[in-house]
Amino acid sequence: MSDKLKDIINKQGEQQNSVGEQLDDVVQLVGFMIGDEEYAVPILSIQEIIKPFSWTRVPQVPSYILGVFNLRGAVIPLIDLRAKFGLQVKKHSEDTRFIVMRHGDDVAGFVIDRLTMAIRIKKENIGPAPDTVIGDDTIIDGVGKQEDKIITILKVNKLLERDF
Amino acid sequence: MDEFQEILQDFLVESFELVEKLDEDLVELESNPDDLELLNGIFRVAHTVKGASSFLNFDVLTHLTHHMEDVLNRARHGELSITPDVMDVILESIDLMKALLEKIRDTSSDDGIDVSACVARLDKITGGTGEVETPVSSAPTEEESVTAQESSESETEESSQEEEEEEIDYDSMTPEEVEAEIERLLAQRQEEDRKKREAKIAAGEAVPQMPNPDEEEQKEESSEEKKEEKKAAPAPTPAPVAKKEEPKEEPKAAAPARKAPAQVEQTIRVDVKRLDHLMNLIGELVLAKNRLIKINDDVEERYEGEEFLEELNQVVSIVSLVTTDLQIAVMKTRMLPIGKVFNKFPRMIRDLSRELNKKIELVISGEETELDKSIVEEIGDPLVHIIRNSCDHGVESPEERLAKGKPEVGVITLKAYNEGNQIVIQIDDDGKGLDPVMLKNKSLEKGIITEKEADNMSDKEAFTLIFKPGFSTAAQVTNVSGRGVGMDVVKTNIEKLNGIIDIDSEVGKGTSIKLKIPLTLAIIQALLVGVQEEHYAIPLASVLETVRISKDEIYTVEGKSVMRLRDDVLSLVHIGDIFEVERILDASEHAYVVVLGLGTSKLGLIVDTLVGQEEIVIKSLGDYLKGIEGIAGATIRGDGGVTLIVDVVALMNMAKDVKSSSMSDGDNAAVSNEKNSASDYVVMIVDDSKTDRTIMRKALEPMGVTLVEASDGQEALGILKSGDYNFDAMLIDIEMPRMDGYTLASEIKKYNRYKHLPLIAVTSRTSKSDRMRGVESGMVEYITKPYSADYLASVVQRNVNFKAEFL
Repeated sequence: MSDKLKDIINKQGEQQNSVGEQLDDVVQLVGFMIGDEEYAVPILSIQEIIKPFSWTRVPQVPSYILGVFNLRGAVIPLIDLRAKFGLQVKKHSEDTRFIVMRHGDDVAGFVIDRLTMAIRIKKENIGPAPDTVIGDDTIIDGVGKQEDKIITILKVNKLLERDF
Repeated sequence: MDEFQEILQDFLVESFELVEKLDEDLVELESNPDDLELLNGIFRVAHTVKGASSFLNFDVLTHLTHHMEDVLNRARHGELSITPDVMDVILESIDLMKALLEKIRDTSSDDGIDVSACVARLDKITGGTGEVETPVSSAPTEEESVTAQESSESETEESSQEEEEEEIDYDSMTPEEVEAEIERLLAQRQEEDRKKREAKIAAGEAVPQMPNPDEEEQKEESSEEKKEEKKAAPAPTPAPVAKKEEPKEEPKAAAPARKAPAQVEQTIRVDVKRLDHLMNLIGELVLAKNRLIKINDDVEERYEGEEFLEELNQVVSIVSLVTTDLQIAVMKTRMLPIGKVFNKFPRMIRDLSRELNKKIELVISGEETELDKSIVEEIGDPLVHIIRNSCDHGVESPEERLAKGKPEVGVITLKAYNEGNQIVIQIDDDGKGLDPVMLKNKSLEKGIITEKEADNMSDKEAFTLIFKPGFSTAAQVTNVSGRGVGMDVVKTNIEKLNGIIDIDSEVGKGTSIKLKIPLTLAIIQALLVGVQEEHYAIPLASVLETVRISKDEIYTVEGKSVMRLRDDVLSLVHIGDIFEVERILDASEHAYVVVLGLGTSKLGLIVDTLVGQEEIVIKSLGDYLKGIEGIAGATIRGDGGVTLIVDVVALMNMAKDVKSSSMSDGDNAAVSNEKNSASDYVVMIVDDSKTDRTIMRKALEPMGVTLVEASDGQEALGILKSGDYNFDAMLIDIEMPRMDGYTLASEIKKYNRYKHLPLIAVTSRTSKSDRMRGVESGMVEYITKPYSADYLASVVQRNVNFKAEFL
């Protein structure tokens, strides 16, 4: 009896350990579409995801910076990722969302075309960015491989870096 | 260690406060050398600092203050009269004391500042007055950092003072340890003497009927004691005895010294960070208040006459009242009297007048006027520069003044007072004044302005030349001024505070400079202006006035717009040109000009509409967007939207480079797409009744045109602005909630691109006045209900130029 119990306890312990291990080498991401490409950022860098609302244009900035908006009393810049990635600007639709990302003290909202899903991906399935874009300046952190597609993982700190 | 840090902090805060007060007192003392109260006060400062610093083992500081104390003590007992020369030394020693305190603040140690020369001079004073005593005793008192070289330096100085060769002999003969021991002993003896004297004073106060003999006694005694000192000096043996005596006496002696009559204020020291946080919270509250007021207005409009409105009104007004009071209260906690800044000027004037050999008196008033802490910190430098300037260039030399029939002593007045939401600091002098012609010539010489500019310049504009970088009227660079930097600093700093400089002068009579500065920086009054569909907030402190003008009042001179404002020519710039606003609305015949004044320059800013005045809270745009030219920050408005705040300083600079674009030219790129089928025609139906919309739809569907429905004016406008469709015509009902047909029509007509969009009224209103209103608001057709389907179709076909082949 006690042996059985021990077995069970041991098994449970093993399971817990393995869960812990899984958590260690799994990255949680949130995927979204910009144009025809799927991108993702780590879930922990996302402060919130909101439906589009009105913003205020700011003069003398690159066109991909739409302006600033009010997020519960804080004035936050709004960046259109379509424009930033060189795609043609599209009107906001039902699926358009603002993703508010935070890295340290830097916060900004990003306009994306559509959310896809929360993704758990094993670290071993994440490859480095292609050679052509490797370097300190790239905003690509790596490429996540899934069964049927690949997802570009972006560096949040680079996205939040002022580059003008 | 922590405890020590804490004590050190307290010590520094206290010392800096004391020293600040000291400067003022000392200068006053020079004019009233007999004011015993003042002397006592100054003495106490030196004493307090000495006491604390010896406790904290700051030996250099203790050494210095000890000698200051000595000199002041003598003055206090009338053994020494305060002559300007004595004062120079005392002031010098106080400067050193400040330097030491700063050193301690920065490095927690008082090493590295050489005080020996000053100490020697202090000693000289004490030595020079008493006939009997020998000053040599105290010079090398310092135990640690005074090197042999330094002490010998002071000794030689002393020796030059006609006295005692034997002392030097004695010094050189004795080993250093013994010497130090003797010195310390002597210092203690002196201290004891002083304490005794103080105790005597205290006793004298307690027995007020016979103060004179007491004083005499003191004098006698002190000289006696000093004789004793001299005797004691060569013999180190009595040292331990004296030491033992000391502690007994100290508590007794210290008490009367501290029993100062200074009134104790009930205060708490609060970390500035906490105040800043409080201020931020208040900012949030003000925003919420603004929002509440806006909602209240909306509700009022919609539910006019309802009972609960009154109650709501009351609550809203109480909240807004309390918020305002709270805001003022918190602002007040951050307020400091400007006297804190003014304090240092009497000393400065004194030093400058001695340096420049001029006689100048400084009259200060309004030092109790309060300003936000952050502004008080910023205002010091500009004032220093202005006052230096007044001393150096304004006030003439005594001979010159007498020759001109002016009193010998020049007067500089420094006053501060409140004026509305601003504080005004005014600096007047009765010197030679500014000569506009001379200013212009100098500027031409230095290439700051062109010949042409000089000719067009009014006197007042010429005065402002002194604020140009690189400008200087001084024939040569002196210690005081003449590098052409100072006044430029004034301008920059004042502008940074959103302040205005006003300068007035009359040759031979004097100059008056007024600095107008907003009371606080975080929450400001702003004028909200509209351009096209955007709003901007302009700090009200920089707005002088607003004027409504018509287009033909604007003239173009060399590619720049200008207008005539009373007797002045005002250069204009359109806010839309500066902020690259897209022109989508049709420009109206009239525009508003916001006259901005900053420092001494003026600019007219053309805007489309004036929205109103509002209290706004300045928020930063954050790191990502910081440093955008022309934008000082953002604020959140009552409706939750963000409005950008104009940076008036930057705007004025930008205005110089902006070419005036004619206000009316909107490109009429009418998008007339080629129609290939009936469904390329798009018609919007705006009606609040579903039935009516269906009737219209049924009437038009046979034509095959695309139909879009909207249930009220607002929705219709939203669809139109979204640009999803290119409408060829709109059918508009008049009676609609939220926005009626007339308003919708006039709103649509504001946009350039919809100028030619046919608007057809479909309504049951039949009166002539209704028809007139329809035409006024831009409707082209007026169909009254009921109507036949064919009629509606034909009207639409006519207005959209429907091609016959699609029928």
